[in-house]
This record gives sequence, structure tokens and C-alpha cells, in this order.
Amino acid sequence: MSNSDSTDLIDDLLGLDPQGSTHAARHFRTKVLKGTQASYDALFSPAVGLSLSYRWLVALYASRLSGANELAEHYLEQAREHDVTEALIEAVESGQLDGVDDTVLEAILIFTRKLIQKPVEGDKAALLALKQVGVSTPDIVALAQLIAFLSYQIRLVAGLKAMQALEKTA
Amino acid sequence: MSDVIKINGFTNETLGWKAWLDVVSVETATPEQIRILEASHPQAKTSDYYLLLAHEPEILDHRSETYNAIMYAPGGVHRADRELAALTVSRINGCVYCASVHAQRFEQLAKRNQIVADVFTDPATAGDNERDKAIIKLATALTESPEDFDASHIQALKDLDMTEKEILDIIHAASIFGWANRLMLNLGEPVFP
Repeated sequence: MSNSDSTDLIDDLLGLDPQGSTHAARHFRTKVLKGTQASYDALFSPAVGLSLSYRWLVALYASRLSGANELAEHYLEQAREHDVTEALIEAVESGQLDGVDDTVLEAILIFTRKLIQKPVEGDKAALLALKQVGVSTPDIVALAQLIAFLSYQIRLVAGLKAMQALEKTA
Repeated sequence: MSDVIKINGFTNETLGWKAWLDVVSVETATPEQIRILEASHPQAKTSDYYLLLAHEPEILDHRSETYNAIMYAPGGVHRADRELAALTVSRINGCVYCASVHAQRFEQLAKRNQIVADVFTDPATAGDNERDKAIIKLATALTESPEDFDASHIQALKDLDMTEKEILDIIHAASIFGWANRLMLNLGEPVFP
């Protein structure tokens, strides 16, 4: 995935028609569009300390749990391109986390599931469990931002898809 | 000062928020962290929330850019409508802190508060008019089951003469609170007066 100014992941994934009304509404909010893409780029940047393999797996897991198929396919592709093992991809795709032979990753995926599905149940113990397996505060902040961003991205894509579907029937 | 509303554990009073992890100290922060804190929120340098997020300044920078554009940019849908979407999502996700902040913002912008009590009581029946109800319904659907969100949810707002730009503003506001609520709920807790 290129980080050039002209690339927009969501426009590309949905194939938004540049002449269409959904694309026009989206591009009216330039700062939102650019901020969304820049957030994605920052969350998957090599500059973040948390393992990039973990981050692609978190994204794949969050989008599968949310039934966001276009995003899940994108994150699956990214995980494979970044040499994440098929065994870990399979564990995340099937949701069988006991197949994850890595205590840090397992704690991260459990935190991901909770935050995606039942954010109100996220509690101090779930957060401190990450510290106990050795994840630093900046890495926990990056992880929480990533999962929270994915919740946003999943809903924005769902909203734009619905607008696109209506546009096509008009 | 508006009337105090307290229902189902939610309130429109001003709450504090404290982090569960160590926050960045303003005294030892880098110039980049200070610049991004100042761009994020007027009180960010005294807020546990922003000082915790400042551990990853670049991520915070783009989050703030996105959030501020969605909630404050001129044009498009009225800001009170964006706050109504934010309030609804915060209520559904159970974010007491966010719900208190956005109940206040809604009241300030819309100059009415019955709907705040009604959203706290039950979002499914809240709304002073058809437009409010449609916004609440869209925000609820997108929050609870994004996989089932479809064209009928958009059509409902178009039927009330909302434009696509306005509808996307509501989608943006509902979606960004999926983000904001999860940070507030999982990195710390509200402090009650």
C-alpha cells in the first residue's frame, strides 16, 4: 500500500465512482478524508513500537468479528504480504485463539475482541493484563487507538457502502 | 447552567476522567508532543486523556484532525445534529463520560434538553420530531450492527429532505464515536463530582 497523497484506501476498496454523489459528499469533507487516511498510515507505520504483524492480525480479527468483508480481505492481504504465518492467520480467521502460541499476541487479541464487541466491559484488569505480559504504555496506547480506529473505519465503510448502494438504484 | 439530568447511570453534569496508565508529563514532553496537544484541544495539557494519548503523538495528531473536522467543520449538517449522533452512540456504548460531554454540547447548540433525558432513558423511543428520530435510528443501527446497515437507513433521512452531504456528516459523527467511546471506556474512568 502506497502512502502517496493520491491513494485513499476506502475510495479504492469500495470503488467509489468519482462522478457519483457518494464520492462527491465524501470529498466535500477533505479534512475528514485526509485525517482518516493519515490515521490509517500512522497506525500501520513502522515507527510504532508494537509489532506490525500483531497490528495486521488485530485489524483482520476486528474486521472479521464485525462482518466487514471488504476490510477483512484487505487486512488478510496485508498480513500475508508482511509474512504473518498461516497458522496465526488461521487462528484469527477461525476465532480459535487457543491456537495462538504467543502469550502477548493472545492477550492482545482477547483485548481486541472485548473492545470491538463489548466496549463497556473493557476494564482496568483487561488493560493491566497487557502490562503484565510486558506491553509498554506507548504500545498499549497504539493498540487501543488501532482498535478504536478500526471501529470507526468499519462503520464509515458500512455507511458509505449503503450510500453507494442507494446511488446505484437512483 | 442547565438542569441536572441523571438517568440509568448517565448524567449531563460535568465529569472528570482519570487514566489507568502513566501519562506524559508536560514538563518532560517533546516540542512535537506539546504542539500536537495544543492542536488537539484547548485544555489538552491538563487532561489525563490527551496526556495519555500523547505517548503516540502522530496517531493523536491525525485522530484530532479527523475528530475536529467531523464535529466542528462549518457547512453540512447542523452541529446540534452531529452532537445528537454523538450522544446516542455514547449512550448505546455505555460511555458515561462521553455522554455527559455531548449532552451538554447538544443542549448548548439546540437550546433544548428533553431529548437528553429521553436518550438516557431509551434511545429507541427518543426524539422530539421525525428528524431527531431518524438521526438517532441511523446512529443506533450503525453502532449496533454495521454489518446490517443498508440503503434503507440512508433513504429514511433522504425522505426527510436531508442531502447526501448532511447524511454523511451524521455517518461520520456516529462512526467517530465508535472510536472516541472505546478510548474513554478502556484507558481510564470517569470521575464524578
